[in-house]
Amino acid sequence: MTIASRRRFQLALLLGPVSAFLAVFFLGPLAIMVVTSFLAPGLYGGVEWTFYPHNFGRILGFADPMFEEYDPIYIAIFLRSVEIAALTVLATLLVCYPAAFCIARLSERSKNFCLFLITLPFFTSLIVRLFVWVLILRQTGLVNEVLLSSGLTERPLDLIYTKGAIILGMTYVFIPFMFMPVYASVEKLDWTLVRASLDLGAGPIRTFWRIILPLTAPGIAGGAVIVFIPALGNFVVPAVLGGAKVMMFGNLIEQQFLAARNWPFGAALAMMVMSVMLIMMVAHVVLSGRRSAAAAALAR
Amino acid sequence: MQNSIVRLVEASKAFTTPEGGIVTALDRIDLNVRRNEFLTLLGPSGCGKTTLLQAISGFVELDGGSILIDGEDMTDRPPYRRPVNTVFQNYALFPHMTVGENVAYSLEVAGVAKPERREKVAAALKMVGLEGMEARRPRQLSGGQQQRVALARAIIARPKLLLLDEPLSALDKNLRQAMQIELKTLQNELGISFIFVTHDQQEALTMSDRVAVLSGGRIQQLDTPRAIYDHPVNTFVATFIGASNLFEGRLDGDRLMTADGMAIRHQPCDRRILTQATALIRPEQFFLAEDNAPFPTIDIDLDQIVFVGSTFELFGRTAEGRKVVAEVPANRRSLIGTVEQTRKARLAYDPAAVHLIGTTTGAA
Amino acid sequence: MKIARSLFTGGLLAYTGLFFAFIYIPLAVIAVYSFNANPVNMMTWTGFTTEWYAQVLGFKTKVSESALYIESTGQLLQAVWNSLVIAASTTAIATVFGTAIAIALYRFEFVGQRFYRVVMFMPMLMPDIVLGIALLIFFVNSGIRLGLTTIIIGQCTFLISYVFIVVSARLAGMDRTLEHASADLGANEWMTFRRVVLPQLFPAIVGGALLAFIISMDDLVITYFIAGVDVTTLPMFIFSMLRRGIKPEINAIAVMMLSFSFVVASLGLYLRSRQK
Repeated sequence: MTIASRRRFQLALLLGPVSAFLAVFFLGPLAIMVVTSFLAPGLYGGVEWTFYPHNFGRILGFADPMFEEYDPIYIAIFLRSVEIAALTVLATLLVCYPAAFCIARLSERSKNFCLFLITLPFFTSLIVRLFVWVLILRQTGLVNEVLLSSGLTERPLDLIYTKGAIILGMTYVFIPFMFMPVYASVEKLDWTLVRASLDLGAGPIRTFWRIILPLTAPGIAGGAVIVFIPALGNFVVPAVLGGAKVMMFGNLIEQQFLAARNWPFGAALAMMVMSVMLIMMVAHVVLSGRRSAAAAALAR
Repeated sequence: MQNSIVRLVEASKAFTTPEGGIVTALDRIDLNVRRNEFLTLLGPSGCGKTTLLQAISGFVELDGGSILIDGEDMTDRPPYRRPVNTVFQNYALFPHMTVGENVAYSLEVAGVAKPERREKVAAALKMVGLEGMEARRPRQLSGGQQQRVALARAIIARPKLLLLDEPLSALDKNLRQAMQIELKTLQNELGISFIFVTHDQQEALTMSDRVAVLSGGRIQQLDTPRAIYDHPVNTFVATFIGASNLFEGRLDGDRLMTADGMAIRHQPCDRRILTQATALIRPEQFFLAEDNAPFPTIDIDLDQIVFVGSTFELFGRTAEGRKVVAEVPANRRSLIGTVEQTRKARLAYDPAAVHLIGTTTGAA
Repeated sequence: MKIARSLFTGGLLAYTGLFFAFIYIPLAVIAVYSFNANPVNMMTWTGFTTEWYAQVLGFKTKVSESALYIESTGQLLQAVWNSLVIAASTTAIATVFGTAIAIALYRFEFVGQRFYRVVMFMPMLMPDIVLGIALLIFFVNSGIRLGLTTIIIGQCTFLISYVFIVVSARLAGMDRTLEHASADLGANEWMTFRRVVLPQLFPAIVGGALLAFIISMDDLVITYFIAGVDVTTLPMFIFSMLRRGIKPEINAIAVMMLSFSFVVASLGLYLRSRQK
């Protein structure tokens, strides 16, 4: 056997089984989901094999005139989900950005320890971390206990099952997602540039806007993308902290699959989430591509 | 070919760049490396010298041509079945093994028994001056020591040929010079051929039996260090090795007339019939002319005089505006004094020391 | 100027202190209250007890005498067992597959590398729910009975990516010339892999496996959709308990789960830091 053909054999051995696995169980299901979103729902669950664009119509305004009515509630829930996800991005950023600066300037050992402390929750159970907030926020929860017993309020506050509770829970859960990319770009920041800016007469605030923020923008953008996408499609956080009162897109999808059993419509809803994800990805790639192109032009 | 240890015949290799262009790293190279020879591959980065080395060690597959080592065709052999060992640029010591395990690696792989391995490791470490360091970890050693471990590891199995890929570039200047001499001594002791890759011309000139100057994937010149310095075959070699003053022009008897009207005297060379040529005068061939000296001269206006210890470097330009550099011994202080005052110098040269380069590059 | 600066630094430090407080105080709170004896209002402290832990672990306690609780402990243990079986299987499969792809991408050249890379990053970016329903539609259509098998297959599809990312990061950081040196010294490919690549890669493979194990143990969304009616995992069990109403022993379960993942994650992160 020649070297080249032996290498090919080794490669086939490495990639063959896993490629087959992913093709059948990963790419296959995603393709079937796309197809399903264009099929008609069967009467008792299941699907009918006819082309049926009205799943999207129900969401976007051209519902099947025979059976269904266009209901703007889906768009409303979608927009609410976008709003909650965006606010979550903002909240995680506000929480992580200043802390990243502080930690980046610590000694090597304390830095590593801090990073360890921040990644640790990522490895602990999501549901347990949300449960903690249920205990803290609910009517008989810690916050209300403290407020009532100290006499600050007379009746327990409605903290849980609100939009705020969902954003708080998501922020808590997604902190590591935002922190890591932001921290990476903050740590890379060349402080001599900041000194140069101060030296050239720019004040601290101006230096922040003109030097620090643009230079750490890639990390912020990266963090925003990887927080926004899972936040948008999340159904666990709203299910636990939003209850039946505040529904998000993820709960709507879950309902279609496990309660209403209208799979094509559920698939269409999931496609909406996917398309937002794709738009964000493309935007991120294009923008960061433009940024690196600009950097290359400057370097010349 | 009794005397040849490595033979490359029309070795070719091209790479595709990420932008889609094609770079010819080796352009039909023919090369013979003699037994017990210290051969240096010298060239600027990207000239193909590392590719050539990797073609011999087997990490680069040739597009065309063949490689013979000790008469055996190696072209399609994987690296681990070639009787050559390499000292890598960054040493490539296995961080998870001790010094002893590193050095013993090739023996272990070849199935040599442990007691014999231990003995040979001790001997190899002794040879490079690191006795008793077997149990250390590579990262506990200094750069120079790591270098020696890499060397011991590469020679322990007595390869037919040792390849050294810029092994001294990471060391500081003093250590580098000491290692140059040690390497040369080691090569004599072992009696095997070394192929040494470097971009440092000084290093190439000091250590080698022969130097191959590479550029654009071709061997521009292959000869002894002296021949390469004194008689470069083309302007690339002339400028790459040492400082040089080049005058291009038309030959007319014992003169070379430049386009802007300068005349450079030389000894007519009857081996070649050239009409166009480039005259090379090395800076140290110039000397400050005293009155009535029987040598041709060039007058320059001085831009700068640099004292470098043993010599002065004079930078100036001729009436025609050509830049000229000359290096004159520092012991002639009185002459330098006048030159410094007048900011003018009359540089003399011996026509016999002028080397003519034919204008067709690559042809000797 | 000096005062402003130290004020700023102090402010930043205080902020970072709050940052860590925000992350860890809630966890500390349930750790403390998991020992609260109050069975009705869990956040009103009435006394210290370890009863909830005993209860969860299946010991006879005053509470467990009442018929109400017996059933759920059995379910809990079954859920833990299911989670462990699933995590062990998926970890084994995902580690082999993820490492294979990483080695293929970083040690071979072939057409379609970019495609594999995209596929490897897709599960990281896709909302879990999308993959969950896609798998549900697929399994139901292909007639595979939902249960342990489908959960294991489904989790593998995204756990491969996690292993891949950890292992490939190590491979990318590894010095290729070490492998060249090994080959140069006469070791064939298998020998080089065993003596040079694997020892350096090993901590990353273990790290990737630990990560896969933890994420598998923790996965709720995808498992939730493809578990079918018969199989419950630990996160699903807690999720359904939360939906039905909160009982004090969830506290104890939560604290035990936290401690477990803290230990495993610390071990994994320690191994990873040591290889640098």
